[in-house]
Amino acid sequence: MTSVSRWVLVFYCIYLLLPLYWLMTMALRNNSDITGKFEVIPSNPTLANFAEIFSNPVWYQAFGNSLSYVVLNTLISICVALPAAYVFSRYRFLGDRQLFFWLLTNRMAPPAVFLLPFFQLYSSIGLFDTPLAVALAHCLFTVPLSVWILEGFMSGVPSEVDEMAKIDGHSFPYFFFRIFIPINRGAIGVTLFFCFMFSWVELLLARTLTGSTAKPIVVVMTRTVSASGLDWGVLAAAGALTVVPGIIVVWFVRKHLVKGFALGRV
Amino acid sequence: MAINKPYNNRAWLGVLPVLLIVAFSAVIPLMTVVNYSVQDILDFNSRFYVGLDWYRETLQDPRFIEAFGRQVLFSLSVLAIEIPLGILVARGLPKNGAWTSVLLILLAVPLLIPWNVVGTIWQIYARSDIGLLGVGLNELGLAFNYTSNPTHAWLTLIAMDVWHWTSLVALLSFAGLTSVPPAYYQAAELDGASKWQVFRYVEMPRLSGVLVIAVLLRLMDSFMIYTEPFVLTGGGPGNATTFLSQYLATMAVGQFDLGPAAAFSVIYFLFILLFCWIFYNSVMLDDNEARHHD
Amino acid sequence: MANIILDELGFAYPGALEPTLLPLSVEIKDGEAFALLGASGAGKTTLLNLLSGLLVPTTGRILFNGVDVSSQSGSERNLAQVFQFPVLYESLTIADNLAFPLRARKAVNGFSAVDIASRVAKIAGELEIENLLKRKPKTLSLFQKQLVAIGRALMRPDVSVVLLDEPLTAVEPRTKWQLRQSLKRLQEELGVTMIYVTHDQTEALTFADRVAVMADGKILQTASPQEVYEQPAHEFVGFFIGSPGMNFVAIDSAIPAPMYAASGVDQFAQRIGFRPEWARLEHPPMTHPLSAVHWLGRVTHCQILGTQDGVPVGITTLASEVGELKVRGAINATVGEEIMVVVDRCVSFCAEHYVATHYAQSSTSQLTNPVGNE
Repeated sequence: MTSVSRWVLVFYCIYLLLPLYWLMTMALRNNSDITGKFEVIPSNPTLANFAEIFSNPVWYQAFGNSLSYVVLNTLISICVALPAAYVFSRYRFLGDRQLFFWLLTNRMAPPAVFLLPFFQLYSSIGLFDTPLAVALAHCLFTVPLSVWILEGFMSGVPSEVDEMAKIDGHSFPYFFFRIFIPINRGAIGVTLFFCFMFSWVELLLARTLTGSTAKPIVVVMTRTVSASGLDWGVLAAAGALTVVPGIIVVWFVRKHLVKGFALGRV
Repeated sequence: MAINKPYNNRAWLGVLPVLLIVAFSAVIPLMTVVNYSVQDILDFNSRFYVGLDWYRETLQDPRFIEAFGRQVLFSLSVLAIEIPLGILVARGLPKNGAWTSVLLILLAVPLLIPWNVVGTIWQIYARSDIGLLGVGLNELGLAFNYTSNPTHAWLTLIAMDVWHWTSLVALLSFAGLTSVPPAYYQAAELDGASKWQVFRYVEMPRLSGVLVIAVLLRLMDSFMIYTEPFVLTGGGPGNATTFLSQYLATMAVGQFDLGPAAAFSVIYFLFILLFCWIFYNSVMLDDNEARHHD
Repeated sequence: MANIILDELGFAYPGALEPTLLPLSVEIKDGEAFALLGASGAGKTTLLNLLSGLLVPTTGRILFNGVDVSSQSGSERNLAQVFQFPVLYESLTIADNLAFPLRARKAVNGFSAVDIASRVAKIAGELEIENLLKRKPKTLSLFQKQLVAIGRALMRPDVSVVLLDEPLTAVEPRTKWQLRQSLKRLQEELGVTMIYVTHDQTEALTFADRVAVMADGKILQTASPQEVYEQPAHEFVGFFIGSPGMNFVAIDSAIPAPMYAASGVDQFAQRIGFRPEWARLEHPPMTHPLSAVHWLGRVTHCQILGTQDGVPVGITTLASEVGELKVRGAINATVGEEIMVVVDRCVSFCAEHYVATHYAQSSTSQLTNPVGNE
């Protein structure tokens, strides 16, 4: 890398960090402080905003709701994608290329297009306002993505592994669950990352498909925005808390991250 | 790694779960949309088949055309910044070492923040009354206010998108760059190549495959953008920052005009499909070549 | 073209407990085909990296034509390298790939476009790849790509030395010999100093004028392939060269010590080594008196490699009173049979170092040591 690139990196990191820093300072000041006085470094830091979030059920239930559909979505996506990816990587079959392409198109679908039909569909089967509805709706994007990433990794595992297991006398379920899946741990980790990345961050569908029971955090925050009594402090604290799960997930899959991007299959 | 894949139609069993879920999530809703797009729906019981009327009306709707124009401008602007910036950032990253993990995590963070929080972060950051950037710019004498000034709103939106998504390009490029075996750099050095020649002949060929993907992804995703501008500017001031998704959302949900909304959706989707097709072909072509030459 | 001298060259990675290379000295003559042979971990890659400027020596110096280049970079030393896999510029045509080393140094060397074009044509002609010039690397086979890589290394007429790092590794087995031949022919025709690093003895012994056998960070012997084969300076060389390598037997069960003192050899030998092809199998009773070097053994395995005059020929493994022995030649015994191993030639070692060569004399069958080594 040249020195130009190094400087660009440095400035870009600062560019990234400044708004995050600002978020943190806002989270540590209470609202009257914020609207009253402008300070770059808070003189009266307080944890009151965080306390509000952890004690007010509106907030912490919302976090719980979000987490529940993200976890559900990730589970469903990975479970459903694993056999499909295996099959795509090992066999050719009638219509396989077309199917793969069609899956890809779903990843690229604009959520706005599905607002209306989803709303009607999920209402009609009684899943409206549940985390499951959001989890399933997100499957539209996360399942094709998962199949794609997993297939990419699995194609790199030689089919000799399958044959050896067969020769050793193992049944297919044994091979698949005790041998093949552990080999693909890294791939599953990366898939988890990307499923999380899509489901946790999405707003439009999460908002459309939930009412008051399963209200996710993204909705509570936007409601807070459009309300007139705007509490910047609490909003910032909630925002800061939504960044945390992301950092945790990245930390765990950091070793596989570059390889996942290397497949270029975001 | 060229696996000779045997032909086996029983493989469909493995794909069945995926098919079911995606059919449920995609096919049924899509069929509904297409269905609505060719009907005039006054209420549940009175519907009239109107053929391609809604499509014609939408494509001639001045507000649609404006939204489309804004969308194209926005997408091209962010692309023009994010691609070169992402490459430079990737080149600046140390290939391995203590800093590498830390920097990669830092880069990944903006990608994992809920999109509305991205909007909120930038709202807090850019407001001229409480924001670090807003107040800072005003202190420098610039009379910055993105809520009332369309140009400022645009600039802030672009800055926000760059903050949000450049990391994607950077991470993809980094993956491409680290795939270059050191022997290539060594050979270029022995040849007496200049730094520019190293970039052009050793790094760019590896990057080009990745970049096609990055460009198409960013183009498609920026074309679908909804949440962040919605939170930051709400589409304003006025209509200044109302892009396609938002226009569609207001039509579909707010106004209950199902027919035109559905037609709009189909047009939108077809456009995306076009990109998809290009994307698929370039990725699969690259893949097939790679698999033949290992 | 350069004459290269390594003067007490040693290397240790910072913080490593043991050095990777112990101080060694060797001279490689201008225009010589030189091979560095050793197993993985022997230190040959480190030595290669020191030669190419990738690593800086911890002790000692490297001299090119008498000039100390130890602190110079690879491009300053004006050398070229061929890697284990073909390293080409994927976006350029083969012709541009070949021209690159000259074009990059145009400002320095003043090559004109015409000079460059004619040099490209010449090298392409030598390698017989003229028909590939307009194509791009990704359309070529691995074999062709490696040929181009070799061509690139030979482009500069004044290149000091060409380093080859196991260049046949990636090439398909069927075409390895073809590449070996091309390489040898080019080296002879162009008279370029080449240093060939490998773990494959066939490659080293067929390519080189001289071979340096390495183990554990030391060069054990630098000599012609013939000499390395017949007079290994170290037990390891005897063991490593040949397939299979030498058999080793402790001395007190072979040649009686007084015989040594009588033939004027100062050192006492401790072990003898003999190549499987230097021994033969004979059924007892022996035609020669028992003073010949021989042992009784039971055949445990026969590996047939072919036939000669109708007799199967190959490698026979035997279990004997002195351990496992391997004999190469006519197989005239079956598994389980007891047979004599008779040694016609052997070399002796003291503290793993070469002492002398011994031949069986046809009339008396006693092993004697002719004055001087042969």
